[in-house]
Amino acid sequence: MSAVEVENLSMSYKAPVRKGGLRAALGSLVRREYKTVQALDQVSFTIAPGEVAGFIGPNGAGKTTTMKILSGILYPTGGEVRVLDHVPWQRRSTFLKRIAFVRGSQPVGGSQELTVMDSLEYQRLLYDVPRAKFRRTLAELEALLDLEPLLERQLRALSLGERMRVGLAMALIYRPEVLFLDEPTIGLDVSAASLIREFVREYVEQTGATVLLTSHYMADVASLCPRLILIDHGQVQYDGPLAELSARLSPYKLIRISAAEDPSAFGEVVEKADGQWVLRVPRDEVAGTTARLLQALEVVDLAVEEPPLEKVIDQAYREGLR
Amino acid sequence: MRTAVLLGFRLRQEVLEWSGAWWFLLTLVVQAVVAPLIGLFVWSAVSPDDPAIGRYYTAVILVTLMTESFEQHTFSERIYNGTLSHELLRPQPVVIGVIGMNLAIRAWLTVLGAPIVLLTGIALQVGFDWWSVLRSTPYLVLAAVLVFLWTFLLSLTAFWTDRVHAVVGFGSQLVFLFGGTAAPIALLPDGLRRVAEVLPFYGMIGLPAEIAAGTRAGGSLLYQLAWVVLLVGVVAVLWRAGVRRYTAVGS
Repeated sequence: MSAVEVENLSMSYKAPVRKGGLRAALGSLVRREYKTVQALDQVSFTIAPGEVAGFIGPNGAGKTTTMKILSGILYPTGGEVRVLDHVPWQRRSTFLKRIAFVRGSQPVGGSQELTVMDSLEYQRLLYDVPRAKFRRTLAELEALLDLEPLLERQLRALSLGERMRVGLAMALIYRPEVLFLDEPTIGLDVSAASLIREFVREYVEQTGATVLLTSHYMADVASLCPRLILIDHGQVQYDGPLAELSARLSPYKLIRISAAEDPSAFGEVVEKADGQWVLRVPRDEVAGTTARLLQALEVVDLAVEEPPLEKVIDQAYREGLR
Repeated sequence: MRTAVLLGFRLRQEVLEWSGAWWFLLTLVVQAVVAPLIGLFVWSAVSPDDPAIGRYYTAVILVTLMTESFEQHTFSERIYNGTLSHELLRPQPVVIGVIGMNLAIRAWLTVLGAPIVLLTGIALQVGFDWWSVLRSTPYLVLAAVLVFLWTFLLSLTAFWTDRVHAVVGFGSQLVFLFGGTAAPIALLPDGLRRVAEVLPFYGMIGLPAEIAAGTRAGGSLLYQLAWVVLLVGVVAVLWRAGVRRYTAVGS
């Protein structure tokens, strides 16, 4: 059985449109015109229990809309969705107690005057978490998210990074089985983003939770998601392992070499600085080129690398998948 | 039981939340008492020898403070800024949060407005029959429910329009005109009075105030209850349709 099943999911909005100017404005009073915006178009995928999938795509691709439908906030206009065997938009208590939707842009809802501890206590009541289990989970979250200094602080007084940590703690205090993370590291500095990534990894390891994660930061995706679902213009463009996407989009690998002589005869130079070169070499020629480099030159250091994920994804967004 | 516990916790949360905005609540108190005070001044000038006018409007001020509803500012704003999504994800009816905030604001308005009611009573040398005041309690409770349902119903239009304040403003004018604030409905022209007695607005302000002031011996709780049932039904239908339409703003 899958934790998340999505079949032919579609979502369209009717947005009012009119031309500029007073005449068009007056005309729209009697006859409104609408344009149908297709946010999602026949999206299908499944996620197995315990799987961590990255859900990526350019702005406006339909990622957040999909997340909102899967968590029960939005009603779709077509298709079928089952999350933990529930139809999400029916928003049954038994379903809502088993999922969490954390958004980097709005990590913490509710009363902002309350302290973090008060808010966590409210979550305990809402989600019927037994006291002993609550205390145990809180102790774990305190350690993993460094929550202790924040517990007596009011929500309104927290920084963005602190809000994200608290948002995660509030979402995970009831141990959800499916976690929808919408850009959880947006706006965070390198250390805070790294802490959040590490935390999510540990949570998944400990609990076996299913995670669907969207992020524009490839570090999030590369470090957490063995599987990628790439969506664009409301359609799934790719669904598979990250490495395969990289290989499919970029038929080249990079050889980073430090040497006394110029290696530019062995491949296309894409970077050169302080006695270090980066050569772009077709994937099937990497082994041969490396052997020739080691034979012909006095090599100080050599490494074979995949092209940066940012560049691969950028190419996918701009040019699409071939 | 669980609902009561959640409502109690939410109420406590909201009382705390609003305690930080006492100055803003004071402005709400002033806004709430202005209309009944104008009614008081006008009708006291018309009937200077009638002590019932002072009693009635003092009761109207108190009823207004205890039943004020601001769902167009609280709930509708959540639709507009997308934070309603947080409520939709919680395993409890969304209305619990709305009611919690409503009761918290009313509690603060009553506490902060009590000196105004007291001063008005002292200034006009108003004497209440405390048995009448006690008898008005169930009418006051139903009035509070009616005002909430009416305001919440109109605030639900935020799912369809971004002009919810105009819609609720229009609804408030109906309460002002037919509820007994502009004039005690007994003083309205005959035809208008008969209409006012049937509409729900009289049950929101005038009826509990008249009973507390002792100008009316008894009223029909059934009339208030019938409107409560009807409004609950309409709210439920509109809520279902609204949530289907809901599209959260931003991410």
